[in-house]
Amino acid sequence: MTIAPPQPSMDARRAFFDARPAASVAVDLSVRIGSLTLANPVMPASGCFGPSLGRLIPVAELGAVVTKTVFGTPRGGNAAHRLTELRAGMVNSVGIPSRGAAGYLASQHPLYLALGVPVIVSVGGHRSGEYAPVVRGLRGAGDAYELNVSCPNLDRHGTDIGSDPDAIGKVVHAVRLETDKPLIVKLPVLVSSIADCAQAAEAAGADAVCVANSIPALPLTAATRSPILGNVIGGLSGPNIRPVVLRLVWLASRAVDIPVIACGGIETADDALDYFSVGAHAVQVGTASFGRPFAMVEIVRALQERCEGVAAADITELIELWRA
Amino acid sequence: MTVTTALGDLAALRRQQAFAAADEAALDGLIAVRPPERVPRPDPVWDDARVLVHEVVGERYRRLVLATDTIATTALAGQFLMITVPPTGGERILLPRPMAIHRRHPDQGTVEVIYGSAGRGTTALTDVLVGESLLVTGPLGRGFEFPDAALPTETGPEAPRTALMIGRGVGVCAIMGSVEDAARLGIAATVVLSGRSPANLIGLADCAELGATVIPVTDDDGSSALPALGERLRGLFAWAPPDVILACGAGVLARLAADLGAEWGAPVQVSLEAHMACGLGYCHGCAAPVATDPAVEGPLVCVDGPVFDAVLPDRAAAGREKPAG
Repeated sequence: MTIAPPQPSMDARRAFFDARPAASVAVDLSVRIGSLTLANPVMPASGCFGPSLGRLIPVAELGAVVTKTVFGTPRGGNAAHRLTELRAGMVNSVGIPSRGAAGYLASQHPLYLALGVPVIVSVGGHRSGEYAPVVRGLRGAGDAYELNVSCPNLDRHGTDIGSDPDAIGKVVHAVRLETDKPLIVKLPVLVSSIADCAQAAEAAGADAVCVANSIPALPLTAATRSPILGNVIGGLSGPNIRPVVLRLVWLASRAVDIPVIACGGIETADDALDYFSVGAHAVQVGTASFGRPFAMVEIVRALQERCEGVAAADITELIELWRA
Repeated sequence: MTVTTALGDLAALRRQQAFAAADEAALDGLIAVRPPERVPRPDPVWDDARVLVHEVVGERYRRLVLATDTIATTALAGQFLMITVPPTGGERILLPRPMAIHRRHPDQGTVEVIYGSAGRGTTALTDVLVGESLLVTGPLGRGFEFPDAALPTETGPEAPRTALMIGRGVGVCAIMGSVEDAARLGIAATVVLSGRSPANLIGLADCAELGATVIPVTDDDGSSALPALGERLRGLFAWAPPDVILACGAGVLARLAADLGAEWGAPVQVSLEAHMACGLGYCHGCAAPVATDPAVEGPLVCVDGPVFDAVLPDRAAAGREKPAG
């Protein structure tokens, strides 16, 4: 049985963060996503990161960065209020403003490139046919593409593309014809079978799946029971969704041979290890970075430290040692 | 008793909703992103800031004095902090709360913040004790900046340069940095401090310390009502309009400032509030309310603001129609 270590004090955390990263002796945190090797398995969740965070934290210590979703044509996003916080977690309805592929290439991509880690460009569409043209429009920019199929499908009355295995297959097939770069399919929470969706992605040529996204939710004001968000509906995220996503990651990782990237309420290395122990190969951190901008870097360093502490060569060995 | 309270709550709620609707209407088409600043923005840092003072101010507010050397030294007037609320009493607050820097004391390495406990986040913040630390990120955003016309020249103008500042509630905090700057630059500052009641006026002592002229106005005696306040300011500045107007705390006050600025030919800058998660421009939670084409996102309050130019919509349109050059 494992006993979680006591939480360090704020001062201890600060000292830890300021210290130079421990020299990696034999620990190998690297992870392969198709042809791409990441130095470690920690990256931001799309939409919860921007190059401006590089002004606060050493982004070069992350395994990769993931961009905000790029759509084919510019879109302004949803009306205010775009986010709120409930006891259940954060709910956002930002609506993914995008300057389109050309706008991304001109104004954003150079800033991402300067960060010095692999750039995974998130790509979106409202119809299964809209993804490939965006990837074409990106003209090879980016080290991998994450297909955000958690958008309402306008071909099918607004159901998520990612909840429909056939639509997932179509998207991945079409994008595969445009690029040899690794493709990650970011699946939504609300699916009838996460295994079917992950297998559809794998069969169509995806190199990894990311499980999952925020959970559709409707926050109301306490006083008048009217919608808080301008868009009425938003996506719930934060630590409370972790058990829900853990189940999905467990199911998905048993269904496919390609890596599963976990995304859902990860705040600490322990949370990440929960996901690794049910089959995840990498993790994305979203909501936690808002309150603690250094959360991702802390997780990378803590994973390294945990492995070193028990002389585990990698995370798989670390988990095996726990189970032994 | 319960019924009376419930009715009282409902009345307060309706009043709040009416204020919110009026603010939204007042801001419609009013704001524009300011031209690039002359002084580059300082790099933000995150800091475990020790709480040196945490005390009640008036009936509704609390004041925090935070030890944070870098931010105290670098923050520009009108910039803000993101304050992460630590877990207390079983309450977990996920998102940091944006708060204006009320005072900068670079010699002491401290900044002051004043907040009202309204929602879950700010209520949990009231539990933080002196001696504990708060995780703060800052300084953030585009602050207030005196335009050239409001700056004293080398040779010295005939009459002192003047600035009119208008703040309401905790909105006073956003403008207090400019009152500090005015004192340093030798600009004569007149500061309207607006609040519900005399006990809820923020900034009286600060203005006294900084040598600013204060016009206190309250809802209690009706002096904060827009027509009354507008007439009073028109009378006061009839012969010598201010060189710049800065405002924060309500959309309707921003609109009044823009009206006065148009009459007097004075530039107007207003600071806006918005719900935000990152404070750095990447979450896009705080796009400002501007009438735009649905394909174009409004400016972000956290990086394009919080301080914007305020120009009456018809004047902004007239300005755009002018031939270039």
